[in-house]
Amino acid sequence: MITLRGLTKRFGSTVAVDALTVDIAPGRVTGFLGPNGAGKSTTMRMILGLDRPTAGQALVRGRAYRELRRPLHEVGALLDARAIHPARSGRAHLRAMAHSNGIPIRRVDEVLDTVGLDGRAAAKPGRTLSLGMGQRLGIAGALLGDPPVLMFDEPVNGLDPDGVRWVRQLMRSLADEGRTVFVSSHLMSEMQLTADQLVVIGRGRLLADEPIGEVIARGTVAVRVRSPHPDALAALAARLTAAGATVEAADRNELTVTGATADQVGDLAHELGVRLHELSAHAASLEQAFMELTADSVEYAGGPTGGGAR
Amino acid sequence: MTTSTSTGTRHGAVAAEWTKLSSVRSTWWTALAGLLVMAASAGQLAIYAVNDNTNDDPTDDRGIVTVGSVLIDSVELTQYVVLALGLLAITAEFTSGTIRTTLQCTPSRGRVLLAKAAVAGAVTFALGLLLGGVGALVARPVLGEWGSAPAAGMIGDIVAVAAYLALVGVLALGLGAALRSAVLTLTVLLATLMIVPLSLQEPDIDVLNRIADVFPGVAGGHFLAGDTAPYPRLVGLLLLAGWAGAALLLGRAALRRRDA
Repeated sequence: MITLRGLTKRFGSTVAVDALTVDIAPGRVTGFLGPNGAGKSTTMRMILGLDRPTAGQALVRGRAYRELRRPLHEVGALLDARAIHPARSGRAHLRAMAHSNGIPIRRVDEVLDTVGLDGRAAAKPGRTLSLGMGQRLGIAGALLGDPPVLMFDEPVNGLDPDGVRWVRQLMRSLADEGRTVFVSSHLMSEMQLTADQLVVIGRGRLLADEPIGEVIARGTVAVRVRSPHPDALAALAARLTAAGATVEAADRNELTVTGATADQVGDLAHELGVRLHELSAHAASLEQAFMELTADSVEYAGGPTGGGAR
Repeated sequence: MTTSTSTGTRHGAVAAEWTKLSSVRSTWWTALAGLLVMAASAGQLAIYAVNDNTNDDPTDDRGIVTVGSVLIDSVELTQYVVLALGLLAITAEFTSGTIRTTLQCTPSRGRVLLAKAAVAGAVTFALGLLLGGVGALVARPVLGEWGSAPAAGMIGDIVAVAAYLALVGVLALGLGAALRSAVLTLTVLLATLMIVPLSLQEPDIDVLNRIADVFPGVAGGHFLAGDTAPYPRLVGLLLLAGWAGAALLLGRAALRRRDA
């Protein structure tokens, strides 16, 4: 269980995380979504006691991270797969971590095995590891203390399709074992496949905290209409617009209608005598739902304003 | 129960720091470089000592120097190689980003720094003993009839050199934690160990000399030379230890306050 209470972080005049209050429950995968620069990494760093909150608090199983004695037994985290000493081997990196928390050294080989890094890869110096291998090493470090709470910041970056599938299954099985799994991503499609619960932030503010099905359901349903007669279709579009629906012409023969049900569009087409080749309703993807949620809060939307990501 | 757990994590933190230091090749290259610099420096200073002593009249003071004094003078230069061990133990963590992993494993900033200080101090002390031995082996034959090497005095000098290097190594570590950048830390160290006290001593004004005597390099120098003035030997050692301790406190404060 991770508890955020009014968690706030300001860098100068910029508010990176704005009064975030969320509970992240055990036994499920909670996706942490937001556009780049939304404050996801900063939030995770505050949970791990690396960044000091400007206000509010972040607790792990009821305690502040900085108070934990052997934190790897409580929380495992992958923050930055690139954070390995260029000359140190992956195995030595994990050994040092194990020593610091009194974890038996044989556990290093166990987790290396779990993440699929063989002896040769684990002996290579950090600078020669690919991003994908770095991710696997980081995940191995997170699993080292067999912790009940796990956090992963963009864990599928740099992984090949097999690796991506493996991470998904790992998240799933960790959650099924009753652990708290908190995964950040800016890839909605990824979350759609992995997460049970979604915490969505934009510009540091909480936009949604609900089961993934509800986020999708809240998204707009669009109706697609195709007709071989462009002129008739234009007439239908005019009537739909007059009735308050939003109509987009995909091309001369196709419309995408929002704000009206497929039934209503079909009835109207019948009334106008428009010959239809397709009439179909499409549930919005999580991608669309997400875009709608964060439409107002995208920090780096194209345009002359906007700064660099931290 | 609480104490045994806390002892356990302290030992664990030390073991982790040793693993980190020993698993990086640059540590061993630095040690080797220290040995070479020590051998070269001791050899050169021994040659100077011999060349200075051209007075053939045996009734004069023949100016025989001890091997220990050559060692101590060699430390002047060698220390900058050795303190790199203390420096890199922390600044490499900032450059590579592993400081976040370290603080995730051991959230207590004080404990992290103490563990690093224990490892850096022990390693530089052991290296100091080795350097002293190598320096003596090089200097003794070069000095020949102009050198003397009373066993007790030399062992004492070698241990003193090791203690000096260990404290300078910890000083470098603490400053590195506070300043983060290796280059900046090395600059500040050069200034405090050498440049500032030298500039203070130059005009030979009493007050300025007194101020220079408080600086870590000068205090350590008085300790190594076994001086009785301006203060007893032990005070020199304590002053240097005080600087190292203050640097650690500064480093801890910086680690606590700043975001990692």
